[in-house]
Amino acid sequence: MLELIFFNVTNGLIVGAFYALMAIGLSLILNLSGVINFAHGGFLVIGGYLAYVLTPYIGFWGALIVSPLLTAMIGIAVEWLLIRRLYGRDPLYGLLLTFGLAFIIEDGTRQIWGANGLPVSVPAALMSSLSSRFFFITGYRMFMVATVAIVVALLFVLLRYTRVGVRIRAGTLDLETVAALGVNVRALRSFNFAVGIFLAGLAGVLAGGQLGLEPTMGDGLLMPSFIAIIVGGVGSLTGTLVGGLLIGVAAGLTAVVFPSASDAVMYVIMAIVLLVRPRGLFGEEGMLA
Amino acid sequence: MIEKLAGFTLDRRTFVKAGGIAALSQVAAPFIITARGETAFKIGVDEPLTGTYAAPGKNEVLGCQIAVDELNAKNGILGRKIEMLTEDSTSGDAGTAVQKARKLIERDNVNLLVGNVNSALSQAMAQVSNEKGVMHIVPGGHTDPITGTDCKWNVFRVCNTTRMEANAVCSLLFKTYGKKWHFITPDYAFGHTLFQGCEADLKKLGGTVTGNELTPLGTTDFSAYLIKARAANPDVLVVLVQGNDMVNCLKQISQFGIDKQIHVAGTQQELEAVEAMPPQARVGVWMFEWYWKQAPGTPGLDAFIATVRKRTGGKVPTARHWFGYVTVHSYALACEKAKSTEGKTVAKALGGLELPPEVKLQPNKVYFREGDHQLMLSAFVGELLQKGDGDPENLFKVNSIVSGDSIAPTVEETGCKMQMPS
Repeated sequence: MLELIFFNVTNGLIVGAFYALMAIGLSLILNLSGVINFAHGGFLVIGGYLAYVLTPYIGFWGALIVSPLLTAMIGIAVEWLLIRRLYGRDPLYGLLLTFGLAFIIEDGTRQIWGANGLPVSVPAALMSSLSSRFFFITGYRMFMVATVAIVVALLFVLLRYTRVGVRIRAGTLDLETVAALGVNVRALRSFNFAVGIFLAGLAGVLAGGQLGLEPTMGDGLLMPSFIAIIVGGVGSLTGTLVGGLLIGVAAGLTAVVFPSASDAVMYVIMAIVLLVRPRGLFGEEGMLA
Repeated sequence: MIEKLAGFTLDRRTFVKAGGIAALSQVAAPFIITARGETAFKIGVDEPLTGTYAAPGKNEVLGCQIAVDELNAKNGILGRKIEMLTEDSTSGDAGTAVQKARKLIERDNVNLLVGNVNSALSQAMAQVSNEKGVMHIVPGGHTDPITGTDCKWNVFRVCNTTRMEANAVCSLLFKTYGKKWHFITPDYAFGHTLFQGCEADLKKLGGTVTGNELTPLGTTDFSAYLIKARAANPDVLVVLVQGNDMVNCLKQISQFGIDKQIHVAGTQQELEAVEAMPPQARVGVWMFEWYWKQAPGTPGLDAFIATVRKRTGGKVPTARHWFGYVTVHSYALACEKAKSTEGKTVAKALGGLELPPEVKLQPNKVYFREGDHQLMLSAFVGELLQKGDGDPENLFKVNSIVSGDSIAPTVEETGCKMQMPS
């Protein structure tokens, strides 16, 4: 039993790392632009399918980098054409727009690549388990965790030590003052949106390798990401990271004793956090109020 | 913001937009009117076109459409052209499926309702069709009660019952692989009855169940369940999940190398799912409900394959295409036999109807059982192939084609008490 619990905690951390990657992208956009991006799962799907198209030409490793970049470019176009018009309005507008966008992306993917799932081939070296005892730790899952760790570290460096990163953080706290100081807030928001969508695209490539591709694949991953943000605290990227890992582990542990509640446990945690500490574990009071 | 929402002024743009919509509706209306021919015979198809079951749903719709086109090219049904109306039932929202079924019956006045891939949605739709007294054929929802305890005079089913699926493979798995089984089961109507069937068969054979992992529909990560399953150390890991869940589950089984330590098998397998898997995940003994690569010389088979290939850009037919095809053709045959399209008369004619070779497309006798309105179709039992044999889409080796009669429980055993209206 003890071994089973240990296995599931480790497994939960792996799954949670993936939730965190999705959630951080979502959180970036929410923090600076105030847009609840329901189409984040859709961008994940775009990233995955673009990688599928690119892999025969530039290989898995090439697609891992190029596909998220292309997804980010699509993101910039969407921000420029649609999202930008909703800044400063009631968040409900952004929510409705991105909700519709999510349906359009899902159906568009189905039109182009078909409703049936598509297999994605990943390098053979990553396919097998690392040991027969820890059979659930495969090369690919370790690679996913490592990628998430590197990307999150790079993102923190970007936000802490670069000029644009500092501006994003400052904008999260007080956008008006940042604008008054002469920062081009439009460009800042576009860049920030692109970074968030880049992370969604990357998550799509990684998820494609793990699960295969399917037009609705973003749906199942979107809700845990929202929950990760709420649990971690809106406005805090560290909180989002911890929130993702926490719900991953909780879902894994619940699956040992009460499998049918493994989805529900995430919502239970969210409810408890909202009751006991409404701002979330790392959130600051008054964010997005 | 609030002021903006509350205040409404008719500016030029709004006016132009309204004018545009009005103009468009003028153009669109005649199309809608001409599409509803007064004398056409109407078939209402309520199937998932979006969500998890979009792939099988669309394939069943195409199967129906091919049959409609074939019939319209000849004489329609009793000389009347057939018009097919398609609605998206969604993959799991019974409320939407029922609302669409009502729309098809009440507003479009369809003569036949077709649907659904999802067992729970099929059951919900059957309530509506029965209440309205409209003929209803379920092409691909498997849960037992549809033609068992909940059987209805107007409801017929083309695909297998879950019990038939269990019976088709259980004794073979027991003999070949061993007696300790662990299950991964989808947590809804289909999964529950399929597990019950397998469990009953296994107990009868003298085996034991080491555990049953109930997984929510749409599960993407099966690792927690697989960790538990492996810890139980069974002889066979029986995978009962379907669709994308099946793809994800088998993919993770092969990534974790579980198939190297425990035999992996299941009951129902579908070409849609197998094609979405990477080669190394295609393992185990399964049953297909219909398979395109069968004994050569099966009448009508080559023509059907060619038609589907033409309509799908070269893809071969799956069991789902065949379900849709059989649904429409068998209904047309019943109308011809009854010389009527009146619901009760057609239902009587369809009960006991044997399918001709060019519709059944397989060797054994295929017919609708009179007592429970269940189609007695064959089970294609065999093994998955990692690479296509002769054709990239030939991913299954059929070892035996078992007749439906031999795997179906008797009408009494199904619990069906059919009450035909007087």
